[in-house]
Amino acid sequence: MAKRIVVDPITRIEGHLRIEAEIENGKIVDAYSAGTMVRGIEIILKGRDPRDAWAFTERVCGVCTTVHALASCRTVENALDIKIPPNAELVRNLMFSAQQMQDHVIHFYHLHALDWVDVVSALKADPKETSRIAQSISNWAKSSPKYFSDLQKRLTNFVNSGQLGIFANGYWGHPAYKLPPEINLIGVAHYLEALEWQKEVIKIHTILGGKNPHPNYLVGGAPISINIDEANALNMERLNIIHKQLKDAKEFINQVYIPDILAVAPYYLEWSKIGGGLKNYLAYGDLPTNGYNDVSSFKLPRGIILDRNLNEVIDVDGTDEEQIKEYIAHSWYEYEDGSSGPKHPWHGETKLNYTGPKPPYEYLDVKNKYSWLKTPRWKDKPMEVGPLARMLVSYAKGVPEVKGLIDTVLGKLNAPASVLFSTLGRTAARAIEAAVVADWALEFYNQLISNIKNGDTRMANMEKWDPETWPKEAKGVGMTEAPRGALAHWISIKDKKIDNYQLVVPTTWNGSPRDANGNRSAFEESLIGTPVADPEQPLEILRTIHSFDPCLACSVHLYDEKGTYVHRVETF
Amino acid sequence: MNNKILIMGIGNVLLGDEGIGVHVINSLKKKTFPNYVDIVDGGTGGFHLLSYFHDYPKMIMIDATMDGNPPGTISVLKPKFASDFPTALSAHDIGLRDLIETAIISNGLPEIVLITISIDRIQNMVMTLSPEVKNSIPGIISLIQKILSSS
Repeated sequence: MAKRIVVDPITRIEGHLRIEAEIENGKIVDAYSAGTMVRGIEIILKGRDPRDAWAFTERVCGVCTTVHALASCRTVENALDIKIPPNAELVRNLMFSAQQMQDHVIHFYHLHALDWVDVVSALKADPKETSRIAQSISNWAKSSPKYFSDLQKRLTNFVNSGQLGIFANGYWGHPAYKLPPEINLIGVAHYLEALEWQKEVIKIHTILGGKNPHPNYLVGGAPISINIDEANALNMERLNIIHKQLKDAKEFINQVYIPDILAVAPYYLEWSKIGGGLKNYLAYGDLPTNGYNDVSSFKLPRGIILDRNLNEVIDVDGTDEEQIKEYIAHSWYEYEDGSSGPKHPWHGETKLNYTGPKPPYEYLDVKNKYSWLKTPRWKDKPMEVGPLARMLVSYAKGVPEVKGLIDTVLGKLNAPASVLFSTLGRTAARAIEAAVVADWALEFYNQLISNIKNGDTRMANMEKWDPETWPKEAKGVGMTEAPRGALAHWISIKDKKIDNYQLVVPTTWNGSPRDANGNRSAFEESLIGTPVADPEQPLEILRTIHSFDPCLACSVHLYDEKGTYVHRVETF
Repeated sequence: MNNKILIMGIGNVLLGDEGIGVHVINSLKKKTFPNYVDIVDGGTGGFHLLSYFHDYPKMIMIDATMDGNPPGTISVLKPKFASDFPTALSAHDIGLRDLIETAIISNGLPEIVLITISIDRIQNMVMTLSPEVKNSIPGIISLIQKILSSS
């Protein structure tokens, strides 16, 4: 008889996710993933000016903020057939790259590393030996015995104060932690250094987007003017700051993030056999170098891999109404025609219909509806999205930078490419992507400088800014890659207003409930076969779920004063 | 060390009263302040906000709380620990407490005056404020001016 355990909420993620897993003989035999918050941005957008949609969509989340704005601008540009100037593309690429690098580093060090790094064990480390290991894996300067011994003292004081703060939610001492104390101490040191670094790199958003958080975007281009001598424009001083941040980012990723992954992975190689889950991978791709309409120019290619066949990449088309569709068979929504779908997002509806148990409850009714996430499918197939999907599509397409780095990492770990299809592979793919993007970001910067030197300062195409120039009806799709996976917005414009707007976000692909045919989505499938040593401390579930970098923040998350969960969404 | 003061409102304007902190910032932007005062819409900024805690020696923060008081009640506190801040109300993502804890462990906290406004509930998919909460804005602004003139 299987025993069902509930992990609710999954900690150290953005938003509220609940996992119910059935365990038999110490292994997970079935799993259910439930987004227990509702997202209703689509309802807010109806009837508004399409040119304003980006500003609303980027407010749904404090993490993916710029990528929603990007997807939104693109969907409107796609609907109205607006081509943006090359400089605007470069500015968007630079903001995309800064977001990707910052988010991957934060995800690894601050949301995921503590699944592998035991903070309390770091107190027992020998600072000299820690220094020796650190210097053997990287040239990073902060690696002296004194540096680690000072840090250890600070950490000891912190733990002794009883205010564990950010480290309070760990399962310290759990037998599944395998790192020696010295590598744990390196992990904690870089946890803190990454905090410092991330707040610098994101200043790129403040410069290019005018403000941060929630930087400014513009349908038709980028809302920033270039004038290298003007104080309030994108001038040489500001460009130099961007250049410095990009160089620092490259150094941090190559000297800290990548070496840490390589140092930690050998202790957890069994996790290259766990957590693989689905065998289909979807990437919309991004970083165009010849305009968004030229998909072949994307640095991160678009495509689908089926059944882990790396010899073939299949095209994906967001405008083909037979490809991407959403089911609501197990989601708390209803479609007007009474069906459970699937519906292409242009025909998507957001009508809430909560039929779940009244909180507090023990278990969800998983035979029926059990999540606020819809269930997207590509030609009825479930897909994994995220850094692993992007790196696999890039690898299969032969993107040289990606292929080179993946082969190097696999060589160092002495492992075949099949280890990528796993929890560990997902975590490694994220680091590999950060390193590749760090190089590309510098290319974008150099291209921007070269354009400016050649006298091209165009930043926006305002030909179709005036709604009088628009057709009576138009439809568009805007695709991008959030750090955690494929993100797209679909819009229908009618009489100059938004008639329908639908978002299909990465965690909806990965964390959705089963479809009408009973097929599991990525989170659910990835947990099957995962060992759980202690059901009271299901660290293993966190490892795999965190490896996807879930984000459900685009919804409601609500606690009372005492911290107990209260379910009070007005629309019930 | 500089003598700059940051006024930062946080919240999600897509969730009705939960966005009161940002609504206050929008009102403040229409007023003039001494040049050592900066005003920031923190939105749902999460980790993006960390640098502000390190760049300013003094901050005035404005946030919503569900503390059981009548909606629109204004409270002022000088928090020292993360547990002094309201629990995560909404899609403040990595909640404010996590952010404060992160700021504490990385560089320590600046002097913070936290102004909370009691709200009754989070209205999903509503961009307007309830009358009780909206009517608290003039009081919050004069409170901020009082704090500024005494610092």
